[in-house]
Amino acid sequence: MALGLFVGGSALAPRDVLGALAHPGAAGDAGAIVWALRLPRVAIAACVGAALAVSGALLQGMLRNPLVDPFLTGVSAGAGAAIALAVVAGVAAGFVPAIGFAAGLGTALLVAFLARRGGGVDAERLILAGISLSALFSAIVALALVRLGREGGDAVLAWLAGSLASRGWHELLATAPYALAGTVLAVLAAPSLNALRLGPGIAKAVGVDIARTQWLVLGAAALLTASAVALAGIVGFVGLIVPHVARRLVGTDARASLVAAALLGAAFVPLADALARSIAAPTEIPLGVLLAFIGVPTFLYLYLRPAGATRLWGT
Amino acid sequence: MGHVTLRGLRLTAGARRLLDGVSFDALPGELIAIVGPNGAGKTTLLRTIAGFVPPARGDVLLDGVAVEALGTRARARAVTLIGSDAEAPHGTAVREVVATGRFAYRPWWDWSSSDDDAAIVESALECVGLADCAERAFDSLSSGERQRAWLALALAQNARLVLLDEPTSHLDPRYALDMLRLMRGLARDGTTAFVVLHDLNEAAAIADRVAVLGDGTLLAFAPPAEALAPDVLRRAFGVAFERVTVAGVTRVFPLAAG
Repeated sequence: MALGLFVGGSALAPRDVLGALAHPGAAGDAGAIVWALRLPRVAIAACVGAALAVSGALLQGMLRNPLVDPFLTGVSAGAGAAIALAVVAGVAAGFVPAIGFAAGLGTALLVAFLARRGGGVDAERLILAGISLSALFSAIVALALVRLGREGGDAVLAWLAGSLASRGWHELLATAPYALAGTVLAVLAAPSLNALRLGPGIAKAVGVDIARTQWLVLGAAALLTASAVALAGIVGFVGLIVPHVARRLVGTDARASLVAAALLGAAFVPLADALARSIAAPTEIPLGVLLAFIGVPTFLYLYLRPAGATRLWGT
Repeated sequence: MGHVTLRGLRLTAGARRLLDGVSFDALPGELIAIVGPNGAGKTTLLRTIAGFVPPARGDVLLDGVAVEALGTRARARAVTLIGSDAEAPHGTAVREVVATGRFAYRPWWDWSSSDDDAAIVESALECVGLADCAERAFDSLSSGERQRAWLALALAQNARLVLLDEPTSHLDPRYALDMLRLMRGLARDGTTAFVVLHDLNEAAAIADRVAVLGDGTLLAFAPPAEALAPDVLRRAFGVAFERVTVAGVTRVFPLAAG
């Protein structure tokens, strides 16, 4: 995270950055750049990373499936489609994140509604509903891109590729209540999720209310993912890979791995963002693109190397 | 405590009727073996007794209270069911698996675990002979040791009724005997236990009474020598059996057809 404060489009000496941090009220370019641009960007990157990593850990734990990522809930696809349609309709740029957030949450609700069975949700139906709706919304995005042509499509593509450019304290504060609500639900779900790792049969036998746990997890994942999407667009791989690394480090206890996923996500995304800003400066590489370049080889190395444990889940 | 009463149970799977007219009483500290052909409804009967699925008709009473009427956590403190599909994710420590049995003794949102819980988990591990394996990964255990770990989870849960679904399947004779001995010990300590077994001779060796399911109903509920009668078994399994008594223990053997 600290690296993010020292890297950016304007060349600032480390001493100037530290000076600006120590004296928030001081005038000057360094102070303005650090407090108005770099610090909020690092804070947003950390929140996005933590939110996606926790969502991924929650859903992987609930579905006992290591290949699940937060976008399974349909949040990203719904948000992407709504953003594309908003741009087509000529909605002012300031409203776009809110539209993305609302559409993301709405899609998650629809996916959960389609997947419900008995008092809770059925894992297979959830995955099927998530994949189907995502495919439908991707088609809507493609259609919108065709309609917008090359120029207008850039705004949509910036969302789809994930980016933290020109986000500030205002956006962070606007999403904070929802992210906080998602965090509370995640904290409440963790002990039940911990029992659920032994399978729904044992979880039920030891007294877990499976339906309540599922709704808590889905609610938390939807709120956290929608907040992340509203802040940074579609940032892939964090929600898939970080939970794996967290489980490797602290084991399968849901409580420990959720905390570890949050911390790792909060460290990983600012680091990736600092790289995205500096590798080809002054051009910024889209964050989602950079994460895919880092994330995919890491994932493949962790699980496909011949000497490593290749098991992702189960015994 | 641990008196189980089944009254006029009818169990269904979708539209299909699995079992009908199942009634019996199991006394506290009794070890009941449930046997029957594949698809007879043994697992569904266990799940119904555990309160996981409501019966289509009839009642399951535990110490006079309908199991269905108990809340999730109150039920988990009274009855537990270890299914044959239980598994732990790669790398989970044996102690963590067993400690899960304490879930219903804390508020469901509580992240902490008490010293009392730790002591109970320790004693459950000792009871099944896994104290030395507590920190090992569950998936590094042999099949027999895994079954013992699941039993330790049930012990940690401190329920007065323990239901076990095929705990000796896939076990070699030594581990199977080991499990049977542990189940016997459980009953001796006053816990009522229902065990689904495929091996009729295991049922004969350890059970106080045997429930034979078949033909859509409860064919017999009696001590092994009586319940495992050749005519009952022929009706249940559709093949002829021979019954012998060796050193006071009933043994049954299926006879080759024809």
